[in-house]
Parts: sequence; structure tokens; C-alpha cells
Amino acid sequence: MAENKKLDRRDFIQKGARITLGASLAGIGIAAATKASAEKYVWQIDPFKCTQCGRCATDCVKNPSAVKCVHAYDLCGYCDLCGGYFKPGANKLETGAENQLCPTAAIERRFIEEPYFEFIIDEELCIGCGKCVKGCGAFGNGSLHLQIRHDLCDNCNECAIARVCPSDAISRIPASQAYIIKGNFTETQES
Amino acid sequence: MSKKGLSILIVAIIVVIIGIIIIDFIGNNALNRGGNPYEYNVDEYKEVDPSLIHYKETKNIALGDIIPRGMDIFKGDIYITGENFLKVIGIHGVQKLNISLEESGICVLARDEFIIAGLEQEVLIFDHMGKLINSWKPDTETTYITSLAILNNILFVADAGNRRVLKYTTEGNYLGEFEGKSESDDQHGFIIPSPHFDMVVNEFDELWIVNPGKHAIENYNEKGELRGFWASSSMNIEGFTGCCNPAEIAVLSNGSFVTSEKGMVRIKIYSQSGELESVVAAPEKFQEEGTAPDVKVDENDVVYALDFDRKLIRVFEKKLSE
Amino acid sequence: MKKILSRIFLLLLFSFVFFAAQSQQRFPKPEFESGYEQPTPTTPEPRSAGMEWADVFVLLAVLSMASWLAIKKRSRKGMIWLSLFTLIYFGFYREGCICSIGSIQNVALAFFDSGYKLSLTVLAFFLLPLIFALFFGRTFCAGACPLGAIQDLIVINPVSIPSWVRKTLDFFPYVYLGFAILFAATGTDFIICRYDPFVGIFRMNAPYIMILLGVAFLFLGMFFARPYCRVFCPYGVLLNWMSKFSKWHMTISPAECIKCKLCEPSCPFDAIEIPVNEKERTESSVRKNLKRFSFYLVLIPVWILAGGFALSKAHVFLSRANPTVYLAEILITHPELKTDTENLDIQTFLESGKSMQELVEEATLIRNKFRRGGWYLGGFLGLVLGIMIMNQFTMRKQEIYEPHKGNCFSCARCIDYCPVEKKK
Repeated sequence: MAENKKLDRRDFIQKGARITLGASLAGIGIAAATKASAEKYVWQIDPFKCTQCGRCATDCVKNPSAVKCVHAYDLCGYCDLCGGYFKPGANKLETGAENQLCPTAAIERRFIEEPYFEFIIDEELCIGCGKCVKGCGAFGNGSLHLQIRHDLCDNCNECAIARVCPSDAISRIPASQAYIIKGNFTETQES
Repeated sequence: MSKKGLSILIVAIIVVIIGIIIIDFIGNNALNRGGNPYEYNVDEYKEVDPSLIHYKETKNIALGDIIPRGMDIFKGDIYITGENFLKVIGIHGVQKLNISLEESGICVLARDEFIIAGLEQEVLIFDHMGKLINSWKPDTETTYITSLAILNNILFVADAGNRRVLKYTTEGNYLGEFEGKSESDDQHGFIIPSPHFDMVVNEFDELWIVNPGKHAIENYNEKGELRGFWASSSMNIEGFTGCCNPAEIAVLSNGSFVTSEKGMVRIKIYSQSGELESVVAAPEKFQEEGTAPDVKVDENDVVYALDFDRKLIRVFEKKLSE
Repeated sequence: MKKILSRIFLLLLFSFVFFAAQSQQRFPKPEFESGYEQPTPTTPEPRSAGMEWADVFVLLAVLSMASWLAIKKRSRKGMIWLSLFTLIYFGFYREGCICSIGSIQNVALAFFDSGYKLSLTVLAFFLLPLIFALFFGRTFCAGACPLGAIQDLIVINPVSIPSWVRKTLDFFPYVYLGFAILFAATGTDFIICRYDPFVGIFRMNAPYIMILLGVAFLFLGMFFARPYCRVFCPYGVLLNWMSKFSKWHMTISPAECIKCKLCEPSCPFDAIEIPVNEKERTESSVRKNLKRFSFYLVLIPVWILAGGFALSKAHVFLSRANPTVYLAEILITHPELKTDTENLDIQTFLESGKSMQELVEEATLIRNKFRRGGWYLGGFLGLVLGIMIMNQFTMRKQEIYEPHKGNCFSCARCIDYCPVEKKK
């Protein structure tokens, strides 16, 4: 009889604890669900905040980085004297490696017609260091900019680059608009 | 290995793992991270030989909470335009006139009879009381007006959007346009990759137009025929750098050019034939990767620079000793 | 089509916002005479939201399967195949993300940062294993966790370590859980993800320090079974709580235990409760134990206060993990660093136009969160420690061999050792 009572008590405690835990789980679930969104979120760089610190190349969990340079052709001046292609003080405006700014020669320069040249990013080679972005932004129209490529990105729970980004340029945005491609605009001010 | 030994080894490994995590967590911070291994470095080009700098900044005028776009200096007054205003301020910063505009003014030109303001797609002419006398629009959607100049009563309007210079009478009658193409094949006309396309008329009634995509300053006659040009392309102090420089120019009374560059911001003086004469302000005086200041010169050859990044009008005068 | 249209609309809207905000200008590009056609930038799509939901259903299926294998089918073999599938799918194919363990941080952040958008799929990953644990025990650990799977498959020569060491190590997951929530809730860091030792192996790509950790864990795991689960896993703490009160838990014997001791060495995780010899219980020992038990029970509030006090005192140190706080602090203590052009964080801040006052205000806010969080975390850890010590003196009544419901991973190894099972 005493034995039974003890068992009953144990069962009761077990059941009580189970219901309490279940209720708190449900509580957490409901409370969290009110803050939840059915939308999927992905990491992306805001090119207007980016300062090209180079950490996209060094801190991504992917090697080479899932960050690549994207060319907004709409903004491009198709310059012969491309600040994103030639390194500072390049001797000649030629495609020779010694003249190129990109550490992996990932930018292809093609002649279109006098006086215009097209610049194409080879994403296989691009490491996302942002060197060309800096050059293009400083001396050109800023058509080159860094973007997280979602075919390469693992969409980590917390982006390793976002954590170290000094300008807080990386944030989660809805997957339905997964890119912030620079549009038909230039950033330079005119006088 | 004995069970006890194994246990000690296990605990040791766990302690090491925890240690590695803690050390990595604490050590990986802003103080211990190095610089940018992929830095775009133009520092070596920023240094300017001090003996080349013949000017010093004598004063500046803070513009406050406005977004300036362009200015002109005329008879001791500063004409300044920008986001939705056109102002005239005295040399000591006292406001003399304030006209509000429906759109942003981009360039301004003052003469005895009138003040001309260039909006993105419209030319406005005011009298000195601020009354609108005349206005017209070039009928092209892609028009982007960046500069104004008057020569022999012809108003030249630089349209960067269409890479052309429009000609009007001061009443707004269309007189023609030109794209800077000469007869010979080696010219491509104006190459304007970004909205920087400046013109200036010097004391000898010569119209000089910047061809920024070629790092060139070109002289045209009224008809739009190229009479001569010079170009200088270099990251060093002697030349212009980037895709589209000089962004702004002005002329001194002796015909020398004052040039202003964007990217690596610097203001320099070139002779009429294109030799570097001196430096007004080195890149260190401006924000990194800044916008090219608008430059203008008054009758005493004092250089006024409108620093967009710091919202200042900066006045540079020739050093006396040199 | 509709999707494309809405995307274009959003893009336009976006551009418009930038137009207004940065007063940028349209500038026409060159007109080409040679018939050159301008390419448009490509935008490879992220994995679709539908696929994320598919993951949730796979998780649900695997959890159901694992529970069935542990409780109904009682098959270790089935469990091995299932964990192999989990390893391949959630591990190597999904590359270890998103996982239930990491989802703790997302949920924590969602509670403390109103701007944070928690994905419903992540919430499902957080809740499902816990719900299953409440009914069926930690079947998630047995079959649905890729981290558990990789460790389970390399158990070669597990040794049983002394129980006092084990019990000391038991405390660590609570610490890890507490700090993970503290850092996540203050928006500082996701340490669980950052120091996930196996994600580098799943991705075949990681910083060297993480490869090092992964290898260390695998090496350790050969003779100390499932080291991550037992010494680190913060999610294991929650599962442990749920599983302790689970309705149906896997049992060693399908019928009545015959106390044959055969299952005793079968568990590599020391999670089998061994019957207590009732004869050793004397009147005096019971009384002595009860006295100690009551003493430590009364002591618990002291532990809580001491823990809370200690960690709230440490908040200045802890808050340095937050980049904003750290930046503000080094700028105040080392103003000379402002001229250090190599320090990108400082240089970027100086160029951002944000004032020092704004930064300090932001940092103070975060630091205050750490002070409050320090009290909660310290109190929690004190409570756990107090209960753990107190529990040393509980009078455990154990008559048969059965799995410790909290610690057992439901891996079903012991089932094969039970002769009762064989006879059936």
C-alpha cells in the first residue's frame, strides 16, 4: 500500500513537471511566434555603407569568400582610365598584370568601341577583397560594389563577416529581395 | 594506458579545448586585428613637395545645414546654389539674398545684369533683386546641366547628360550645340563618365572646356570648333588621375588654370599650355575619396574652393614670401 | 511573373529610398554605336523558403523515426542508419546550418531585440526536438542531430571516467548555455555557432582554429564518447530537462529487468542507473544524508546571490566581447589609437561621422544589459550549482537497471545487451 502511494506520488510529480515544462515550451513557442516571420532572411552587404576594409575576403567561412564584386553596368562610365582596373600609378593603360589592381586578375577588360571599354568580373577568381571597389568609388562612378552571392553563401546563423564588419554594412534582409545592387544612380555630388 | 591515465588525458584535452575557445574569444577583437591586407593605397601620391605649395588657406566660411552644389564669385560676393536654394552672401558670410528653388540648383553664374542658375534640366535667369526674368528647358530627357559660361553674349550651357555644349542667347533662344568632335579622327568629342563637365571663359575671351574622360582641357571657338588642347594624365602631382578629372576648373587673370580633382582631392594651378605651376591645396587638406570642390577665382586671383564634404567655402591666397 | 513584378517594384522602391537619402543623381551612360548590349548583374537566388520548410519536415520525419526506433522497434541498427542519414543530410548536405543547437540564440535574440526577425523555420527547429524529448526522451540526440551523429559513429574505445569528474563536467553545458544566451540576447555574438567544432568538417572549409577544434573533438571522441554532447552542448541542457520528465522513455529491458548486470558496460556515456544496495542504508547514514541535504538546500539562495553578484561585478569584463562596447572603451582608454591607420575599426568609426557621445551612449546601454544579464546568469548558474551539490545527498531509490532519463541519448546500444530482449 505504502509502496503504491509512493509510486503514485512519483507519477504525480512526473506528470506535473511534464505539464509545467510543456506549458512553458508552449509559452515560449507562442511568444516567439509573435515575433517570428514566415519570410526567409539572408545576409547582404549594403554597398552604401561598405568601406572596403578587406574583411569580406579574410573572414568569410567560405574560402574563397562568398562575397564577390558585382558590376552595376548602369553606373559604369566604360572608361578607358578605369580606377577599379588599374592600380595607382599604372605605367600603361594596358591589360598587363603589372598594371592591374586586382590581386587575382579577376577583372576582364574588353574593348567595345572608341573610347569605351567594358569591365567584367570573373567570379571564379574574385575573392571579394574590395580593392577595385575602392578604386572605382574613389576615382570612378562607384559601379563596382561588393555583394554576398547567395549561390555560394552558406547563410550561416550568424555571418562571420557581419560580426567583424567595422561599418555594420552587413545585415539580414528578406530573401525575396536578396541583393542590394546599386541602381541607376551615382553617388558623386555635382556642383 | 591505464584507465586513470586516460581519464587525466581526457580532462586535459577538454581543458585545452575550453582554453582555446576562451583565448580565441577574448583575443579576437578590434585591438588585435591587423590592417587591411588588400588596402587600396594611394598614400605615396598624396604627398606633395611643400615647395610646390604656393598658397595658404586664409579663412573659411561655414555654410551650415544646407546642401551646396555650385558657386560663383562676382564683384566681391559669393553666389551659391544647392538643394533648393540660390543665395548671395558677402565675403564675410552675411547673407544678402536668398531665393528658394523648386529643384536643386547645380551651377550658378553672376554678371552685372543678371544671375543665371543651372538646374539639372533648366536654366533660370534672375535679376539681382531675386526676381525671375526668364527660364527655359533644353528639350532632352537626359539633360544634365553642370556648368554655364558667357562669351560674346552667347550663353554656353554644358549638358553632361548628352555630352554636348548648348548655345543660347541670354534671352533663351537656341543658337546651336556642339559635341566637341573635330574633323580629324583622333578626337572622340567629350567623354563624360560622371556628372562633372566644367567650362570657363578667361580674360582673353577664350572658352575652355574640360574633357574629363581624356584628362584634357580644350579650347573651343564660338562655333564649337576645337582650337587647341592640352592633357596630362598621371597619378603624380603633375597630372590628373581617375576616370574623370579635372572635375572643376577656374582661370586666373594671367590665363593660368586652377583645377580641382575628385577621388584624390587636390587643387593645382597649370599654365595656359598645361605645365604644372604650383599647388593650391594638397590632398591632406580634404576628406579621403572626397568630392572635387568647386573652384572659382576673384579679381585679385584669390582662389575660393567650395568643399562639399565639409560644407565650407575655403579661401586660399598666395603666400607672400613666394 | 507576379513574383518578378513585385521584385522589380521593390527594387524600384529601394532605389528610390537611396535616391532620396543620398541625393544621388541619375546619370546617363554612354550610347554605343557598335550594337554593344549591356549585361545586367546576375543575382543568383538564395535557397528557397520552401526548401527550408522541407528541412523542417525532414527533421520531423527523422525525429519520429528515431523515437519509433528507440521505443517501439528497439533497434540499434536502425538508429545507426538513421544517424548516418542525418549526418549526410543535416551535416554534409545542409552544412550544419540551421541546427537546433544554434537556434537557441535566435530565439533568445528575438526576445531581447524587437527588431530581430526570427524565421518560423528556425523556431520549428528549436521547438520540435524539445517537444519530442518531453514525450519520447532525447531521441533527437540519437538520430536527428548531425553533431551527435558524427561523434556517435567514431566511438571506438569508450572509457568510463570517475563519477566526480563526470559530475563536475556536467556543470559546463549550463555555463555554455548561459553565456550563449547572454551574448545572443545582448546582440554581441552567436558563440554556439562560432565554436561549433564540426561545422568546419561538414563544410570542408573553416578557419584553422576551428579545424583544430574539430580534430581535437574527434580525437577525444574516440575514447570519451560524445564529448561535445556531454561537456558542451547547451541544447542538451534543455533536452535533459524535458527528457527527465518524458512520458515514454526508451527502456533497457522490454519487460521486467532481471538485474543480470549485462547491460552495465554497454553504455559509453555512463548513463545507466545501477541499482542501489538497500542494505547499505543504515538509519544513521540516512539521517546524516538528510542533514546534509537540508543544509545544502538552505544554502541555495546563497549560491544564487553569490553567483549573481560575482557575474554582475564581471559585467565590465564580459561586455568587452561586444564590439561597440570594446570600441568605446579603447577609444577612451587609448585615445592615441585614433591615429593608428592600421586599426580599421577605429578608423571606420572616425570616418562614419558618428559622434563619440553617441557611441558611448550606445555602449553604456549594452553594458547595462550586461550588468542585468550578469545578475540573471550568475543567479542561474548559482542555482544550478546549488542543486547539483544538493543532489549529491538525495536518497536515490534504484531497484532495476534503467537509463538515466536526463542523460540518456536514447542511442539504443544497451538494448542489444539485454537477455530479456533476446528471449523474446
